[in-house]
This record gives sequence, structure tokens and C-alpha cells, in this order.
Amino acid sequence: MTDLMTHQSQAPIVWKKQNLRELPKFRDGTSYLYLEHSTLEQDGRSIQAFHPEGMITIPCASLGVLLLGPGTSVSHSAMKALSDTGCSVLWVGEQGVRMYASGVGESRKSERLMRQARLWAHPRSRERIVRQMYTMRFPEGLPDHLTLQQIRGREGARVRDLYARYSQAHGVKWQERKYNRGNWDEASPINKAISSGTACLYGLAHAAILSCGYSPALGFVHTGKQLSFVYDVADLYKMEVVMPVAFQEAARGGQDIDRRVRLALRDHIKQLRLLERMANDLLTLLDDRHEIDPGDDDVGELWDPEGNVQGGVNHAGDDA
Amino acid sequence: MLVMTLERVPPSLRGELTRWLIEVQTGVYVGTVSATVRDLLWDKVVQHARGGRCTQLYRSNSEQGFAVRMHGEGRRTLVDLEGYQLVAVKDARYETLKGNFAPPEELETL
Repeated sequence: MTDLMTHQSQAPIVWKKQNLRELPKFRDGTSYLYLEHSTLEQDGRSIQAFHPEGMITIPCASLGVLLLGPGTSVSHSAMKALSDTGCSVLWVGEQGVRMYASGVGESRKSERLMRQARLWAHPRSRERIVRQMYTMRFPEGLPDHLTLQQIRGREGARVRDLYARYSQAHGVKWQERKYNRGNWDEASPINKAISSGTACLYGLAHAAILSCGYSPALGFVHTGKQLSFVYDVADLYKMEVVMPVAFQEAARGGQDIDRRVRLALRDHIKQLRLLERMANDLLTLLDDRHEIDPGDDDVGELWDPEGNVQGGVNHAGDDA
Repeated sequence: MLVMTLERVPPSLRGELTRWLIEVQTGVYVGTVSATVRDLLWDKVVQHARGGRCTQLYRSNSEQGFAVRMHGEGRRTLVDLEGYQLVAVKDARYETLKGNFAPPEELETL
């Protein structure tokens, strides 16, 4: 009885900073969730979204990316919780084309980002990675002697060939990849299906990059955009992941093609173990050790040409 | 792995379930059974619940790794968001927000 009394009189729990060890690894989590016409807010410690059926509690700590469609709003505290738990948030338009992205990964160290920058900055290592990325798209491999120009040619032919093959396999007429950002309804069903699937894939690639602690801006093949690296990573899987689903749903005809693509994509992603593959491929590409200690509270070091020195201490010593 | 919960159901139904599963807490049953048996147990529970509430959770090959079904739950509903099963609750906050998102009422025709 006394136990019960002391429990009741206790002060409210003080929640510490998110322990990164608690968060499931990106590959173990769920891929994505799409919401529209809802309000997202924090209630107690839970993140809730409005749904016509009632308030939905969102398991954001295990979620890779949250896609927010038209008519959504997010409160400040909900956004903070989402970023603390490493869940990426993407605002997507009705077109299914990405508009804005945010969030921080499940790593607080910058080791990987620095490695990415080093590999990116040197033309030789950058070209090696570009070749490696192209090679990943060709199951039969690429000969070493090709120039980048020739590789791009082969890639163009591969994509064209795959479009033709999917088109034939599913009986969907294929003309060209075309969409108008201003007018969603104008696009053909297959183009809508591809846009909607691609938005999901971009979201996942973005979440994978952030979750591993890399920068989405330092792209190897793509360059000059804040999301260049996202395009690089998504392109590795686009034809394999999005196209079969998009063509299959376009062949079925009918309404809500974008929603149906997202639904079918979830099973496909699970079947391909895409999250696991993305994370592994990223680390392999950028020669990482595949393991990082997430729980780290140290203050970091100060750079010195002779070797880094301890940060967070007074270096003035006795001179002060 | 199968988990079932029962609330306000006839005592004999609770006893019946313990023939397959162990009752780890009042109304919470855990065990491992085949898919057929799991479905038959669910049918049995739904048939005899008499206004009580029951839920069933079991492993599935989906991305979430499990599936849920509910019976007789008033406050909570299962929502399927493009293959992701979540639970929706109609609470006070829902009542306030409802107005913002309600579809415009149709005009009455004479």
C-alpha cells in the first residue's frame, strides 16, 4: 500500500535526450507512411495524427520516412520529436513530387560525412565511386575500359530497354516519361504511377542517407543540388523497385493510381529487403566499417595538423 | 506467436482459451498455434464474446511483422494506411479537429 502511495506522489518524469541506441536501425524499421488532410501534434509523449476514424498514434521511432501530402500541418513539438527519433519528413505535393525535406539522422558523429567529403573531393576517388554506382545497375557488370561518356550511353539504353520491356510485359503503352508539375491530372496514368512511386523512393533514399550520417548534397553522379546524393542513391534502385509496381498498377486501370502504387510498393520493398540493402550499399560504396557506436556524448575534438586534440577543455593552461 | 486479449466476456470462454494458450495476465493470452487454429480460435471468440471485447495479434509476413484484428472495440478502430496497420482513437482532440476536415455538407435539394 505504501508503495502505491509513493508512486502516486512522484514528480512527473523528466525525459532525457533521445538515446540513439533505443532507435531501431534504419534497415529494421518500417519504410514509409503517407498522410494527407491531417494535423500532426504531440500529446503527452505520443505523436498523433488526425484521421477521419480517430486520432492515430504514429510509431515514429521505427518509421523511416513520413510523407505529408496536401492539407497537413505539423506542430513544433511534433516536428522536434520526429527529428529526435531520426524520422525524415517529406512534404509531397499532389503531384507526388518532393517539395521539402528535413530531419536529422540517427548518428551524431560526423565521421561518415567527412569520409564522404574526402571521397567526393578527389576526382580519382569520385570517379571510382561513380563507376561503382553505374556497375551496380548492370547485373552483368561493366567493362573497365569504358569512358564515362560510354557508360552514360549504356545506361540510357538500359533504361529505354527496361521501359520497353515493362511496357510489353504489362500491356501498358509507353511513350515517354513526362509530367507537368503544374498540372497533375494532365499526366498519363503510367506517368502518375511512376511519379508517386519515385517520390516514395526518394524519401527512403533520403532517410537512408541521413540515418547513416551522410550528406544528401554531396552527390557523385549528380551534382549541384541539395539533394544530389539522394538522386544518386535512388537511381540505383529506381528501375527495379518502382517500375514493376508502376506498370502493374497502370495496367489495372481505375482510380487512385498514386495510392495503389504506394500500397503495392510497400510489399515490394519488403520483399526486396530494400531498407537493408540501401543501408548496406551506402556503407559499402563509401568504404565504411558498417558499424558505428551510436551512443556517444563526447564533445568532439579540435582539428590540428599534427593530429586532433581534445575539445571542451581550456587549452590556455597556466598562461591564462 | 499469438496474443489474444479478452474483456468482459463469459468466464467459460476465458477458460476455453487456456486450453490452447497461457494466461499471462488477466485477459491476456499467449501461445504458438498454426494459422488454421488461430483463425478457428478467433471465430470461437467472436461467436461467444456476447458484447465483450477481444483482440488478436499474430505474426505475419507484412512489413510490420504482425497483424491485428479487433472485435467489439468501441473507442479504437483499426486503420489501414496503405498497408500499414495503425489504431485510431476518437478522443477529445479528435472532436475539436473534426470540424476542420469535415467534407462540406451537401446542399439540400428541394
